[in-house]
Order: sequence, then C-alpha cells, then structure tokens
Amino acid sequence: MKLLVAASAITGLPVVTVAGGEDVAEVRDVIYSPELGSLVGLTLNKRGFLSGRRRQVLPVELIHAIGEDAVMVRDETALTEPGEAPREVGKPATERNVLGDDVLTEGGVSLGKVSDLVLVVGSKGEVVGYQIEKAEGGTAYIPLPAQLSVSGSALVVPPATQEFVRDDLVGFGAAVDEFRERLGMS
Amino acid sequence: MTDSFRQSQGRKVVSRATAEALGELNHMVVDSSRRHVTAVVVGEGKKHAFLVDWEHVSGFGPDAVMVESKETLRSPADDQEQAAVEGKLELVGKRALSERGNEKGSITDVEFDPESGDIGSVLVGEERIPATNILGLGSYAAVLASPHDDQ
Repeated sequence: MKLLVAASAITGLPVVTVAGGEDVAEVRDVIYSPELGSLVGLTLNKRGFLSGRRRQVLPVELIHAIGEDAVMVRDETALTEPGEAPREVGKPATERNVLGDDVLTEGGVSLGKVSDLVLVVGSKGEVVGYQIEKAEGGTAYIPLPAQLSVSGSALVVPPATQEFVRDDLVGFGAAVDEFRERLGMS
Repeated sequence: MTDSFRQSQGRKVVSRATAEALGELNHMVVDSSRRHVTAVVVGEGKKHAFLVDWEHVSGFGPDAVMVESKETLRSPADDQEQAAVEGKLELVGKRALSERGNEKGSITDVEFDPESGDIGSVLVGEERIPATNILGLGSYAAVLASPHDDQ
C-alpha cells in the first residue's frame, strides 16, 4: 500500500544521516517540477533554535528516503552547493511553482486551486496528486497524470480526473492507481 | 553469557590492583560500525566523569566492573568522547529511526557479551533487533536498517 503525505508536512522535518545518525539540516521547502511530476530537490534551513537558511540544497537524487519523521541522506556530502546542483535545484524558477494555480479539465471545468502536493512516503519524491482548494470551499485531492500543460497560472488535466477527486488522503492512493490504470499509465 | 546496558548501569567500578571503589558505571561507549563496546564511563558530571578503555576492563562481572587500576581512568580525548561522556551518544533512550525516515520509538536496552564487549542486539520497545541492523549512531538518532519497513 502506498503511504501518502502532503508536501507541506515535509517542511520542518530533520534531515538525518544514515551513516552518522546526525540531524544535519531541516527541510525549508520543496522544489517541484510540474513537468516531471516529481520533486527535484529540497531547500534547507539550519537545525535548531533561531536557525537561518542554509545555502546548500538537497537534490532529489541524493535523498536516501523521505519518511514520515525524517528525510534520510547517506551522509553530509548530500548537502550540495547551489552552483554544483542541477540547475532546476540550484536556481529554481519561482514561477514554476504550481501552488495557487487553477486546475482546469480539458472540458473547461475548474476543479479548484492547487494548495499542496501529495507525495508517496518512502519514495524519492514521486508526486502523485495535488491537494486543491475547491471553489465551493473545502479541500480535495486530485490524482496526477503525466502532466499535460502548465502555464504558470493554470494547469490542464484530463476530464477523467473529475471522477477521482477525493475529499481525504485515505483511499486516495487507490484512486491514483485506478486513475492511472484508466489512462493506461501503469 | 549476556549482559545489558540497563542492567549494568550504576554497577560499581573497582580497581583490581587496589580493590578501591572508583565510582559507578554510567555510560557505555560504543563503536556502532564495529558493534563493540570501546570504553565505559565512570562517574558523571563534567569534571567527575572518566573513561576506561575496554582493553583495561579486566572483568565485567554481574556485581562489579573490574578495571586494571585507577591509572586507567582517563579524561575524554576529543569532542566525540566528550559527547559520549556527557551521555549524548548513549544508546539507551536514543530515538530509533528507520533508514526509510520513520520513527520506531526509542532504544530501551542493548544486549552485549561482557567477555568480548560485542553488542548482540538492541531492544526497541519490546522488539529485539540484531546489532548488525544498526547503520549509524549519532546525537540525533540510531539509524536502523529496515528490511521489512513500509516499502
């Protein structure tokens, strides 16, 4: 079974080394690529009280695992100087942020605005859905296909998405699998 | 034979040479990659805690820990040892974190061979985990291999 978590729940998690058992940083924010439908990295804060931003970033390839209580890295060398990280991680384009984007079906129906990303726990940052703020109020979750088009202010999803909207994360994993099966993705 | 960290804590430490009581056993210092006790910490507090290297422990018995002599007590030599003396690397009570990033509770006890100093297993709650599953030990957590963790 897939365990799912909202990306916002990752912020503030400690970054812990597997080899050393040390908390070397803390997650500041996720860097997401809508085109890839995946996290590409994490920005970091220093650990502890009154801690500030850390210059280094954590590219997704160097993440050992994302868990419910910590982000695991092999050792401290995983923390990468922005200049040495892949471009989309070192210099993330802020306009690629999907938060606040309007989700439109191909049929022109607005499902709501993106308020969070839904990740698979234990993976290396696979994003399987979005949490949306519905126009009529309340939140819901929509599964993510291989991304269609993203403009910076809106994204377009297949009409079938509408059938797989769920109000909570329980059962959303199954909805994602079903949805992807329907689209012939798995 | 097996002894445990919890059972041995507070045990008196005695000089074999003079039969003098040197203090109480406070912490065990371990090398997590070798899964071995490397030293014992006698006494507590910044000025009153000393290390005795495992090779100078002449008999780790059920009633007393015998060390060769008072002269084998030494002060911490580096930051790592200082942290160990202050109990920051103490395994018992340490947060247990799976390598998948999920907390499994905390380590409640550590079982070791008092003859060799080899660590056999750690207890997380009621569960006994082979010491070979310890991947890393630091001030934040003991990281455990998770063969049957979620995915």
